[in-house]
Amino acid sequence: MSLSSVEASPVRNAGGIRRKGRREVRERLFAAALLGPALLVLAALILYPLYKVVDISFRIGPSMNLARLGQQPLGLQNYARIFADQTLWAAVKASGLYVGGSVALAFLAGLWTALLLNARLPGRRFLRTVLLLPWAVPGIVASVIFSWMFDGSYGVVNALLRYTGISHADTPWLMNADSAMLTVIIATAWKAYPLITLTILAAMQTIPGELYEAASVDGATPAQKFRFITLPGIASAGLVSVLISALWIFVDVDIIFGSTGGGPALATSTLPLYIYNEAFQFFRMGTAAAAGVVMMIAAIVASGFVFGAIRKQRF
Amino acid sequence: MAARTTSPWGTRLGFLALAATALVTFFPIYWMLMTATMPTSLILARQPALLPHPGLFSLDAFWGALARKPFLLWTLNSLIIAVASSAVSLFVAVLAGYSLSRWSFASQRLLAASLMLGKILPASLVIIPFFVMFSVGGLLDSYGALVLANVSTGVPLAALLMKQFFDRVPRELDEAAMLDGCSRLTTLGRVVLPLVKPGLASCSVYLLLMSWSEFLFARTLISDVNKRVLTVGLQSFAGEYLVDWPALMAAATLTLVPIIVLFIFLEPFLVSGATSGALSK
Repeated sequence: MSLSSVEASPVRNAGGIRRKGRREVRERLFAAALLGPALLVLAALILYPLYKVVDISFRIGPSMNLARLGQQPLGLQNYARIFADQTLWAAVKASGLYVGGSVALAFLAGLWTALLLNARLPGRRFLRTVLLLPWAVPGIVASVIFSWMFDGSYGVVNALLRYTGISHADTPWLMNADSAMLTVIIATAWKAYPLITLTILAAMQTIPGELYEAASVDGATPAQKFRFITLPGIASAGLVSVLISALWIFVDVDIIFGSTGGGPALATSTLPLYIYNEAFQFFRMGTAAAAGVVMMIAAIVASGFVFGAIRKQRF
Repeated sequence: MAARTTSPWGTRLGFLALAATALVTFFPIYWMLMTATMPTSLILARQPALLPHPGLFSLDAFWGALARKPFLLWTLNSLIIAVASSAVSLFVAVLAGYSLSRWSFASQRLLAASLMLGKILPASLVIIPFFVMFSVGGLLDSYGALVLANVSTGVPLAALLMKQFFDRVPRELDEAAMLDGCSRLTTLGRVVLPLVKPGLASCSVYLLLMSWSEFLFARTLISDVNKRVLTVGLQSFAGEYLVDWPALMAAATLTLVPIIVLFIFLEPFLVSGATSGALSK
């Protein structure tokens, strides 16, 4: 495709075979030279670390001395060890709850806000900026804000529940397992939904208006129009955005790190948090790397399945 | 596109729903600002005031935060790291993006595939080899290590973004410039780059936003308190035994305000980017 640009160049037709060849070589060299810095970044900061983490996951024995980590014997003990570790399975369960809950909530919020923004309502330009803003809020900032809002003694959430008469319980949200998970799910969904809004909104705007007009002529109710026109129109874009959100939520640590820190009693200690603690709290690089490799493979396999399912459906 | 809400009542109801939703999603930021600027007695109470009292506005929480932790120094650190990481990433990405857009030899295809890999590689995984590499290389606790880590996530994103912007500039323009005697490099610098200025701006804003928000690399690679960035400072402040909520919210405000400014610049691009992406694929 881009080779054709070289062929189409009128300069090349003007020259003889010799000049043509030399020009082609210079062209290729220039194209490669532009890639130089990126290839360097790629090799040193992406491919080598990837190789390194796989390598570390097979290194057994103590890992306190990082310089000698590469000389430790190879073996499968790290993998055997993590799979026998109850904490890992607890982390897998926590991850399932966290990702499932956050994605479901974010999708509902994303769909709702996309529907609102797609209707031609007054003030939507300004309100669109407001609705998309949480996307840009750093995870750590979101997590400290939600920790404060859900604080047991002076948190505004408990105050709102009191004002509205819903509950006078003064729930210490972050102190017990279920409500702590709910809190981090709400914070994560708040940050995650704008991306889903954007994708669904874009898909909605590609649905031809005539479909809705024809449905109106046929006497369809708004609910029927949503069910049979809007929903099929946004299904594949919605699924892709859900998958992308699920992937980043699955590997994200910021929001949990800044609020519960994985507690209480590991209730919100998801897989990436488990990995981080293995590596930087207990300094077991081998098992941390092994769990990290498993996490990466799980993410790739899961997304492969979902993409495969989407392809087959052909929305 | 569908004008589903044609009746004035429908429009009114819809607007109400839209405004109420915006109110709910903005509430966390609103409450952060309230806590940071209203007197403690109004906020840390059984019956906290939900509406601002403009006469009682005070910056005491900010002075409190600055007195307790070196937030100004951390802000400066965040700024240095964000600008350095974004500048390096942008430089690398502009060259790579142009090459990816104009040619597709084996090296370009290899790079594009690896960039996709780089995009999905989670920070919570690569932090392990990064820590080991920088520790062995004696780079722990240096800005250099943090900039390199940020570049590793910035380049894949920015290079693929810049390629899309370069793709919108017709190739014929490059060829015309070269016919007029420009070298390849001056063609890029004098003819093509000025045409992708909006793309460069969006890309820089995106990169700045990313490195300003980054937490995991900074928390792991930097341990010297005086070299911390804002996000790490914020988390350490929140982790103290007795949290000073107004001061914490003041610090959170300090972290968030530059983001909001950047976001307002970026928002139209985000919306159009999502739209064109959906249309082209």
